[in-house]
Amino acid sequence: MADTSLPAAAPAVAALAEAAAGPPVRPGGRGRRIAWAVLTYTLLTLGALVMVLPFLDMLLGALRTPAERLARPPVYWPRDPQWGNFVRVFDELPLLRWLANSLGVTAAITVLQILTSAMGGYALAKFHFRGRLGMFRFAVGAQMFPFFIFLIPWFFILRYFPLVGGNNLLGVGGMGLLGSYAALVLPFAVSWYGIFLMRQFFLAIPDELLDAARMDGAGEFYIFFRIALPLVGSGLATLAIFVFLYHWNEVLWTMTVTRTAPDLQTLPVGIYLLRGAFEQEATKSLQQAAICVSVLPVLIVFLALQRYYVASVTSGSVKG
Amino acid sequence: MRAFLSSKKAAPWLFLSPVILFALVFFVLPVVFAAYVSLTTWDSLTPPRWVGLRNYEYLLTRDPVFLRTLWQTLYFAIGTLAIGVPLALVLAYAFSRSRHQGLWRVLYTVPMVTNIVAIGFIFWFVFRQTDGLLNRVLGLFGLPGPGWLTDPGLAMTSAILVFVWMELGRNMLLFAAGLGSIDESYYEAAKLDGAGHWQLFRFVTLPLLRPTLLFVVITGFISGMSYFTLMLVLFPGTQGGPSRAALTTGQYMYQMAFEDLRMGRASAVSYILFALVSVVTLIQLRVMRRGGVDAH
Amino acid sequence: MTRGMIRVLGACSGTALLAGALSAQEARTIQVATHYTQEQAAPLLACFEAYEAEHPGITIEHQQTAYGDFLQTILTSRVGGTAPDIYNVYSVWVPQLASAGVLEPPPAGVADFITQNYSPATVGAATIGGQLWGIPTELSIYALVYNRKLLEQAGYGEPPRTWAELREIAQKITTTNDQGNIDVGGYAYGTSVAEGVHPFYAQMFAEGVAPFAEDGRSTNLTSPEAVKVLSEQAALFADGITSNAITVDNFASGAVAMQISANWNKFGWQEAFGDQFADTVGVAPIPHDGGEGGTMLYSFLWAVDATSDAKEESWDLLSYLNTPRADGLSCTGEMLAGMGAFSGNTADLERMTAGGDAFDKAYVEEVTSGRAVTQPNIWQAAEADRILRGYIDQAWAGSLSAEEALASADAEIQAILDEQP
Repeated sequence: MADTSLPAAAPAVAALAEAAAGPPVRPGGRGRRIAWAVLTYTLLTLGALVMVLPFLDMLLGALRTPAERLARPPVYWPRDPQWGNFVRVFDELPLLRWLANSLGVTAAITVLQILTSAMGGYALAKFHFRGRLGMFRFAVGAQMFPFFIFLIPWFFILRYFPLVGGNNLLGVGGMGLLGSYAALVLPFAVSWYGIFLMRQFFLAIPDELLDAARMDGAGEFYIFFRIALPLVGSGLATLAIFVFLYHWNEVLWTMTVTRTAPDLQTLPVGIYLLRGAFEQEATKSLQQAAICVSVLPVLIVFLALQRYYVASVTSGSVKG
Repeated sequence: MRAFLSSKKAAPWLFLSPVILFALVFFVLPVVFAAYVSLTTWDSLTPPRWVGLRNYEYLLTRDPVFLRTLWQTLYFAIGTLAIGVPLALVLAYAFSRSRHQGLWRVLYTVPMVTNIVAIGFIFWFVFRQTDGLLNRVLGLFGLPGPGWLTDPGLAMTSAILVFVWMELGRNMLLFAAGLGSIDESYYEAAKLDGAGHWQLFRFVTLPLLRPTLLFVVITGFISGMSYFTLMLVLFPGTQGGPSRAALTTGQYMYQMAFEDLRMGRASAVSYILFALVSVVTLIQLRVMRRGGVDAH
Repeated sequence: MTRGMIRVLGACSGTALLAGALSAQEARTIQVATHYTQEQAAPLLACFEAYEAEHPGITIEHQQTAYGDFLQTILTSRVGGTAPDIYNVYSVWVPQLASAGVLEPPPAGVADFITQNYSPATVGAATIGGQLWGIPTELSIYALVYNRKLLEQAGYGEPPRTWAELREIAQKITTTNDQGNIDVGGYAYGTSVAEGVHPFYAQMFAEGVAPFAEDGRSTNLTSPEAVKVLSEQAALFADGITSNAITVDNFASGAVAMQISANWNKFGWQEAFGDQFADTVGVAPIPHDGGEGGTMLYSFLWAVDATSDAKEESWDLLSYLNTPRADGLSCTGEMLAGMGAFSGNTADLERMTAGGDAFDKAYVEEVTSGRAVTQPNIWQAAEADRILRGYIDQAWAGSLSAEEALASADAEIQAILDEQP
């Protein structure tokens, strides 16, 4: 919820799908065609260089020796690449712990959002009840509320959450949910955009199908989990991928609630808060190595799964 | 009871119950709470003191920094769109006409899967004045090497460039999808009428791309207005860049709340910013819809 | 809900709840928050282990946060009810922390220990309105630090004594690359709030004027001395002698000739220069025109959180950490000595300076001569410093004159000072 960049998710998925499927279009005659092609590929190559060079710059940085960093003028191409830096950062920083936290928290949020979005979207799409329109408008309107409005209140709501973390019924005495994984997950359990999106997907399912199941005596939960949900599998995948990517990058909230709970810190937050550990210029290679290491796992997964990722999405983008 | 719970009448409410519960605790309560706190002076350690509208009055009339951060925030939000949208549009045009789309897609979407803190750090190094990659490249061409992150006049622009870089792949794919959905027959018809490249773009592509454009601009604006994670990493320890030149309203609010413990004033900031974003978004919707094309 | 009420409710319910099992305090863990890195804090961590061995049932955890995030971390954790038991806080944060009820005053025994074993100046830094709030620890003093080799290469055997001399030397040393960016800087500042504001305060003291009034209710930022200091700083930028491209971090690379820095940097510089340290790093009084000169010192203190469940144990641990041991320094003293920082503990300081090198002696000379003045503990000091840094930046960049910048800073900070009770 309140994740303003999420609405962009679905069209981006559709974009991936369509860009993969759409045939290249080439207007004009032969000479013109070549001119266009040169222009096109020059542009794309330049852009791609700009996309990729910063990463290579960081890789080179991670390989420099302290002496190369301190030299005047500083050395750019490492002469004696310090590959050992990539091993050293694992000793110096709890990178695996951060990675595990990132994975766990992001996965939990994704599962919860998928579930609540599917249930909410289903109710709004497939049932006629008093208040349906009101609920729908609420879900649409709530998307307008940006994250920063909730920052302060959430903090105190979790702090004074009753009956947990040493708190009594009135929510005082302890630290509530702060300092627990719940603090990182619960505020993102529902996505208004997700509900909105799943509603669109459920609308495409014919009512007759569900009514037929009801005639056969199937219960509402059976119908939802066994009939409706499998039919929107691609919609769920669409949502899942983008919820995951979005929350993988979440920094502000996690940083706010895990400042004194280092055990809960995620990859980006850990790296951000520990910049103090490599403040000296001589140790900056280690900082850059740590950043490389933080980028790589997702990148590899992304590159490996890209085909499936696009394919899983292509089938579902019919009614995005 | 069991029968009722599994009936069609109860079902929607059961399906909606987690959402409703969530909405009460994490939406309605916070919105009301923030509104109340914005009318008090509260350091969160001692009881709040009711001050009415004084926080709003202070911010809008006396605070020497608040209005400046608003301008800087607008500059950032609009700047990212002004540079990012045309660039993405051009690249999408080239992309949709190219071969090896799989390769381009990978290259352009790498920033999408890179965490934001890493991006900030990467560019902190790229932008270093004396020995950063960017100035080294500029130096090769005999160009001067400005202080991208240390010159107050440039700091926010640098943040904009990084943000554009980060979002370029996503926006490019969005536009490519928009371009792909335009039916060839429109172009054929226009060509028969003797339209050139520019005219095709101006009178066919652009109007038909309006829904996508609207979408990118509005979501980009809303996220740009409340953004500051990138600035935290790009300008470490400086509390908003040199001369606070890259201090956005969001970060200003965060400092107020969690460093100076001015929860009341910070809540007021969040409400003012929210109001501003809503108004501008509504105006954008109006203006962009006037062409007669509805957003999806 | 009032604070008292919260306490009562908390006390009534604290024991009964199953959730109590989740609370960290039950295991008698003492959490100690500092801004020192694990490497710097190594002697301290060793003492934690020794203490744990002597006191079964007590576990001690060290939480490190970068200095730049430290105040925010303390406050956020305190607001969130996840506060550590012991903080190592910067003295200027004390007014804010004390007035918000974050800190627990030391018990009588500890207070006596402090007044008997610490120099009056450092006890003063830990005292607000007559109330003592903790055990003073790190003493940081500002002075002019210079790279002897760079100065010698430029033909100067002695550090500058006036600002005019400093300009001249710095100008001669500064070199730029093809793009006009500084490769070796004659003089440097830093990007953080402290790296801008502290040298400015130190220079004001050197010119004989304190940045804030004695009672902490007004500033001296519009004084002619303040304007002079900032104009001189801005002139260094305007003349290309320093720039934002070169910072105090570059001193360790031998790329900076002079800067105003605190003694605790010794640790990093020793590491960077190795056996060349003594021949490279020189320390001198801050250049000034006329008068006795002067500089600023600040201190940190060990304090205990008011809501800690283990206050007694915490104070006991702190006494243990700060009492000089039979064979030499106290635990805190040993850690500080390792960093090249000074202790406020009189016995510790004597031992440290007895075996100190020229670097240490030059800094201690600032204290014993009476030139170094304690940074005043003003209201909302962190916020005031941040505001001032913003305006100093603008003067450096030339977008405001020194007078305009300081007048604006004064107005903004005055508004904050007026808030205090």
